[in-house]
Amino acid sequence: MFLRELENYKIFKAGALLKNLRWSIILLIFIISGIGFMMLYSAANGHMMPWALPQMMRFLVGVILMIGIASINLRFWRHVAYLFYGCSFLLLIAVEIIGNIGMGAQRWINLGFFNIQPSELMKIALILVLARYFSALKPEEIQNPKFLILPLLMILMPAMLVAKQPDLGTALLLIMIGAGILFSAGVKVRYFIALGITSLCCLPLVWCFLKSYQKSRILIFLNPEKDPLKSGYHILQSKIALGSGGLFGKGFQEGTQSHLNFLPEKQTDFIFTMFSEEFGFFGATSLLGLYFLLMALSLRVGLESRDRFGKFVVLGVLITVFVYVFINTSMVMGLVPVVGVPLPFVSYGGTALLTLLMSFGFLLGVDLQKYRKSSS
Amino acid sequence: MYLPLSSNKHSFCDLALGISSSSSQKTALGEKYTHSMGMGRQRLIIVGSFFCIFFLLIALRLIEVMGLSPNMEGKLKLDDSMKILSCKRNDIVDRNGILLATNLKTESLFAVPHQIKNPEGIAQKIVEVLPHLKFEEVLKKLRSDKKFIWIARNLSPHDQARIHRLGVPGLNFHKEEKRVYPHGALLSHVLGFTDVDNQGIGGIEHQFNEALVQSEGSLQLSIDLRIQHILHDEISKGIENFQAKGGTGIVLDVKTGEVLAMVSFPDFDPNFPKKMPPENLFNRSTLGVYEMGSAFKLLTVAMALENKTATLQSQYDASQPLKVARFRIKDFKPKNRVLSVIEMVQYSSNIACAKMALEIGVKRQKMFLEKLGLLRAPKIEVPEVGKPMMPQDWRDINLITISYGYGVSVSPIALAGALSSLINGGILREPTLSKVDPTIERGVRVVSAETSRTMQKLLRLVLTHGTAKKGNVPGLMVGGKTSTAEVLLANGKGYNREQNLSTFVGAFPMTDPQFLVMIMIDRPIATKETYGYSTGGWTSAPIAGNVMGRMAPLLGVKPINEQDPKIQAAFYLPGGHNEEKTPSQKTEGFRNAGY
Repeated sequence: MFLRELENYKIFKAGALLKNLRWSIILLIFIISGIGFMMLYSAANGHMMPWALPQMMRFLVGVILMIGIASINLRFWRHVAYLFYGCSFLLLIAVEIIGNIGMGAQRWINLGFFNIQPSELMKIALILVLARYFSALKPEEIQNPKFLILPLLMILMPAMLVAKQPDLGTALLLIMIGAGILFSAGVKVRYFIALGITSLCCLPLVWCFLKSYQKSRILIFLNPEKDPLKSGYHILQSKIALGSGGLFGKGFQEGTQSHLNFLPEKQTDFIFTMFSEEFGFFGATSLLGLYFLLMALSLRVGLESRDRFGKFVVLGVLITVFVYVFINTSMVMGLVPVVGVPLPFVSYGGTALLTLLMSFGFLLGVDLQKYRKSSS
Repeated sequence: MYLPLSSNKHSFCDLALGISSSSSQKTALGEKYTHSMGMGRQRLIIVGSFFCIFFLLIALRLIEVMGLSPNMEGKLKLDDSMKILSCKRNDIVDRNGILLATNLKTESLFAVPHQIKNPEGIAQKIVEVLPHLKFEEVLKKLRSDKKFIWIARNLSPHDQARIHRLGVPGLNFHKEEKRVYPHGALLSHVLGFTDVDNQGIGGIEHQFNEALVQSEGSLQLSIDLRIQHILHDEISKGIENFQAKGGTGIVLDVKTGEVLAMVSFPDFDPNFPKKMPPENLFNRSTLGVYEMGSAFKLLTVAMALENKTATLQSQYDASQPLKVARFRIKDFKPKNRVLSVIEMVQYSSNIACAKMALEIGVKRQKMFLEKLGLLRAPKIEVPEVGKPMMPQDWRDINLITISYGYGVSVSPIALAGALSSLINGGILREPTLSKVDPTIERGVRVVSAETSRTMQKLLRLVLTHGTAKKGNVPGLMVGGKTSTAEVLLANGKGYNREQNLSTFVGAFPMTDPQFLVMIMIDRPIATKETYGYSTGGWTSAPIAGNVMGRMAPLLGVKPINEQDPKIQAAFYLPGGHNEEKTPSQKTEGFRNAGY
């Protein structure tokens, strides 16, 4: 049924698509991912296996997916937003139930060539559904608290399910995406202040519900030197590695901290540390600059778009990337407690990469929308 | 149509997301949208500035962490990672100061492959000095394209000197420390072990990891190496003799709660923990929980005396099996008559014990066991402590089975601690592995001195005239109780009559108890010498007897003339001595006498 509808929405011809795609953004994604492949190659002590090659394969699949999503009319995505959200939510519940029955933590669905986590799908679904909801609201309705109940439920229900998995990082990300869109949609600032105060009051309560490892992560964050050999080890080693990088770094594949395995998880969450050790302060700031550029270009897409739905989608994607970059880099530098959040396009891991590329597919689709209008 | 004020209020929605494409109204609404565009931009600027501020924050932090800020204190250096890994670790000694665990300074050989000019020749030379290395492997390492590679860890100074003498550039040494346990497997479960990075992984090494690294001076344990050796020796002989699956032994100083010796079989050599199957790492004395069988009857008697629901002379009819709900409580060696409490202990009657427990009641039983520390994990200083298993719903049937040792599983160390408190004058002192200053009072009173005195007499009676005779050591005034619990079937539905957990708990001297010895043998197989019996009286009791006989002279326990009329009188229990049993009377059904 939806396939037939899909036919109604005009799909770009290959030539027009290639001409109108926002290549600057795609180029930036390729550059940042290229840095990722390089670091994965270095992390394996100069080998394509076990990380660099699989990551490249997934990247290729992701890029095709991204362009595919971009080529489909945005109105189609707007049309299926609720359905997409509903399916993701059901999958999230299904995985919770299956996980419980299987006694293990099965948080993913096997798609044959790779696994996808419903919590990752939920990130995209949440952006789409909130964009759809707010783009359909009249301005004066947004000021009415009763119209905020539904979006709040749409944010909090999956966030709670994900937090229960337990995946606090993703849950926080969902809430941040939601909050960002709510804020941009024009919800009164006083609601945010009230929310902030309530959540501050809830903190002690949350503390009780945290798992002991989560508590220790927070305590260690406050004072990592207290326990340098156990929980504080990650962050201390990360800081040592960063500090040993200096201005220009030790050179590609020359990072001693990472290559002698002092640095844990160097191919995933702590890849930024390894990069900074090998390429120094200039390398690290350059990478941050690339992210900044990517976000600036994305923001421009949002500003240029004439479509309210599209603007919200761009904003959601922007917030996702920003939160990823911000949390990951500040985590490895000891600014926030250790949470398992990858560095976009660079960290090893298929699901996050795929989700990001899909999100950028939507963003590019928003950009293409203006050509669609003019051509029709 | 819109007041300026309200239009301000209502226009947040559009943020800079801006001009509504669906809007075709240009009049009043147009005004509104221009206004709203301003408001929306404001929001967008806020979001954008957030991004900028955070990026700036990250960059600033980067400057600080990467050591580029000029006056940064305590800058972490590369060497720090090495230091973290090779920090010092204190020795562990026994109560007499004998070394149990120490560090050896060693040198580890590593190569910088790209500095090695002639890999074949050098590999050959290395293998000549260190014959335990294989030529191909060394060559492969020297040819690798890594910047750094370990060739051999933890070499002796002698080997180091010989490598130095080769004079090969590109071969270097890194100082390391290796944890060494001079006594090997003797203290395996007590000490635990450390990993490659010298971090405590189990036992004392894990529990006191921080103290061993941070404080000064060696860590002194309550363990007496001599007693540990005796216990280890006797249990290993016993296990071999009975082809048992495993066993545990504990020697406690009942006056202080100090653990003088503690072994668990199968064990492992902490110098090479990885060479052992993982089940050997399991500490049966503290982590394992077992249904202990009739040793619990002692607790039930103490309970009854304390709660004054019975005296030693109280009579219980054990002539008929007791029916409770759909269960029938039977005696394994029925006397088919009325028994006194003394006889109940002596003949290990389940029926009489159950009837006594019914008078005590669930609430008081639970409270008493709680007081003795049997319903929580023991507080001993190893991380491997087992939480007891108990019924969720504590009914009369549980009350009955628990009274004679089924339905509650406890760790051997917890039971040893609880039984010590019954005979040491009535004070519960948690079993501890740390040396205790005897001048400092510790512990809580759990039973009266009078009850404790009675328990001493009862234990002595059971030993001399009951099932535990083989645990006797002349001149030590030993008291003791055997306990033979059937092992649960693998499917958890019922018990295996053929497989026993044979326990003996003994203490001496009963005139003023000082030491408690607990031996548990898991599934012993009967031998010709035991006339086909695998019960506690035949397996664990003799082992305990040997242990006590060997340890008493070392600890300066003076022999007591057990025939001294004064002592005889002091330990007289009316009505308790009327039936003698000898090992030869096996026809009488000795097999189950352990119950």
